[in-house]
Amino acid sequence: MEIRSILTAIVGIAQEVIGVVFGVLAVMLFLDLLEVQTVFNMPPELLPLYLLILGLFSFFSIISGFFLIREWRGKT
Amino acid sequence: MANERKLGLFSAIIMGLSGAIGFEIFALLNYAYFDLAGPSMISALLFCGIINLITMFSYSELSAALPTVGGEYTYTKVAFGGFISFMAGCLRWLASVFGGALAAVVFVNQLGVLFSVFAPSIQDLVLVNASLLIVGLVIILIFLSIRGVEEATTLIVAAFLAIFIIFLAMSLGYTLTPQNIVPEASGSSLAVFFATAAYIFPMFVGMRALVAGAPQIKNPGKNVPRALMITTILLTVVYFAVAFVAVGAVPLSMPRTAEDPPLLNLAASTIMGPIGAILFALAGIIASVSSVGTAMTVQSSILGGMSRDGYLPKVLEKAHKRFGTRYLAIIASSLFVIFFGTSGAVEFLGYAASFGSLLVFALVNLSLIQLRRKMPRLDRPFKAPLYPLTPLAGIVMSVLLLTFPVILRDVNAESALLSSFGMVAIVLVTYYLRMVKREVDFNRIRVAVGGICFGVGVTLIVLTPVIVAPSMFLIMILAGLVSILAGIINILVSAHKID
Repeated sequence: MEIRSILTAIVGIAQEVIGVVFGVLAVMLFLDLLEVQTVFNMPPELLPLYLLILGLFSFFSIISGFFLIREWRGKT
Repeated sequence: MANERKLGLFSAIIMGLSGAIGFEIFALLNYAYFDLAGPSMISALLFCGIINLITMFSYSELSAALPTVGGEYTYTKVAFGGFISFMAGCLRWLASVFGGALAAVVFVNQLGVLFSVFAPSIQDLVLVNASLLIVGLVIILIFLSIRGVEEATTLIVAAFLAIFIIFLAMSLGYTLTPQNIVPEASGSSLAVFFATAAYIFPMFVGMRALVAGAPQIKNPGKNVPRALMITTILLTVVYFAVAFVAVGAVPLSMPRTAEDPPLLNLAASTIMGPIGAILFALAGIIASVSSVGTAMTVQSSILGGMSRDGYLPKVLEKAHKRFGTRYLAIIASSLFVIFFGTSGAVEFLGYAASFGSLLVFALVNLSLIQLRRKMPRLDRPFKAPLYPLTPLAGIVMSVLLLTFPVILRDVNAESALLSSFGMVAIVLVTYYLRMVKREVDFNRIRVAVGGICFGVGVTLIVLTPVIVAPSMFLIMILAGLVSILAGIINILVSAHKID
C-alpha cells in the first residue's frame, strides 16, 4: 500500500509538471516566443495540429495528475 | 414490444450490401488513384476487405451473443458501461455526419457529370451553385425523413449490381492490364498504401447496417455471421473487379484536366460511351441522395438513443406528433451535414468519415476482448476464430490506418483529424456536464481520463520515433510512460468503484 501511495504521488506530480511544460510550450509555439517555431523547424501549416496535440495532452495530463495527487493526499 | 424476426439469410445479405454499396465508390477512388497510391489502390481495396473481414468476426460474435437493437452502442455498453458506449455512439454519429456531408457533395458532383454529357452550360450552373444545391437537398430530405419515407433499398442494390455487371462485361472487349497494382516494398510506398487504405475504408463500413438490423433476422446466431462473411467477400470481389477495370481503362499516363469527371465516371464513358457516363452519373445521384437520407435517419436514431439513456438532452428524443419520427434530432444532425457538406471538400470528408469508423471498429474489437473476460459464460452461437489474434489484429490495423495519413502529412487527413478531435472534445465536455449535473459518479470521469491518458501515452511512444527529433526522443518517451502509468493507476483505483 505504501509503495502504491508513493508511486501515485510521483506519477501525479510528474504528470502535473509534464502537463504544465507542454502547456507552456504550446503557448510559446503559438506566440513564437524565443523563435521556438524556427528552433523546432516547424512548418507553419502544421502549427495548428501541434498546438491541438500539445493542448489536449497538457489538458488531460493536468487533470489526470490532479486526480492522482488528490488520491495521494487523501491517504496521507 | 418484441421484435419480429422475419428476414432470412438472403435478406440479411441484401441488407449488408445495401448499407455498403453506395456513393463512396464514386467519390473516394478518385483521390486514392490520382493523388495517393496510383494502381496499387487496387491492393489497398483488398487490404480494406481483409481488415473489414477481421472486424466482422468480432461483429458476428457480438451480434449473435447480443442480438438486440443498438449495434456498437450496445456492445460497448455491455462491455465497458457508460462512457465508452457514449464515445462509441458519438463516434458513430460523427462518422455518419461526415459520411452524409460527403454524400451531399457527391450528389452535386454527379449532377454536374450528368449535365456535362448533354448540357455543359447547366453543368457550370450546378457547380457554381453547389452550396445552394446541398442546402436544398438536405432541407428536402429533412422533410422526407420527418415524414418517415421508406427507401427501396433492395431495388437500389439490384440496380447497382446490374450496372457494375454491365460495366465489367463490356470491359471484356478491352485488353486491360493495369501495371504496378502491388505496392513497392519501400517505407514511403507502404506508408502511402496504408494512407490510401484509410481513405477508401468508408466504402466497406456501411455493411454494419446488417448488425443494426440483426433483431429482424431469423436465427441470428447463424444467419448474421454468415451474412456478414458473405457480404464482405462479395463486396471485396465487386470493388476489386470494378477498380481493376477502372484503373485499366484510365491509366495514369492518360492526359487529364481539372474539369474531368471522377475516375469511375471517366472509366464508364471510356468503356461504355455516353450511355455509360449517363448511367453511372444517375447511379451516383441516386446513391448519394439515398445515403444522405439514410445518414440523417441513422443520426437521429443515435441521438435519440443517447438522449433516452440520459446522455443528451431529452428534447432530442421528442417525436413528431403526426409521423412519430424524432424530428428535432433529424434537424440537429442535418445542420451539421449542411455545415460540412457546403465545404465541398471530398478528400477531407472522406478521411473524417473513415477516422470515426476506424475508431468505432477498434472499440468493437476491444469490447469483444472485454466481454470474453467479463462474461465468459455468455451464450455465444458464433465465436470469432483465432481469438485473441483476430480482435487484436483488428485494433492494430485500425490504429495503423489512423496513423499513416497523418505521418504522411496529408493536409486533408490533418484537417480531418483536427475536426474530429474538436468534435470529440465537445463530446467529452458534454459527457462531463451531463454526469456532474446528474451527480452520478466522479469515478466514471476519472476512468475516462485514465483511459485517455493511457491511449495518449501509447500513441506518443509509437509516434515518437517517427515524428520527433532525436534530441527530444527521451523526453517524449518519458512523457509517454508517465502518461501510461497515470492512466493505469487512475483506472485501477476508480474502475471497481463504478457500479
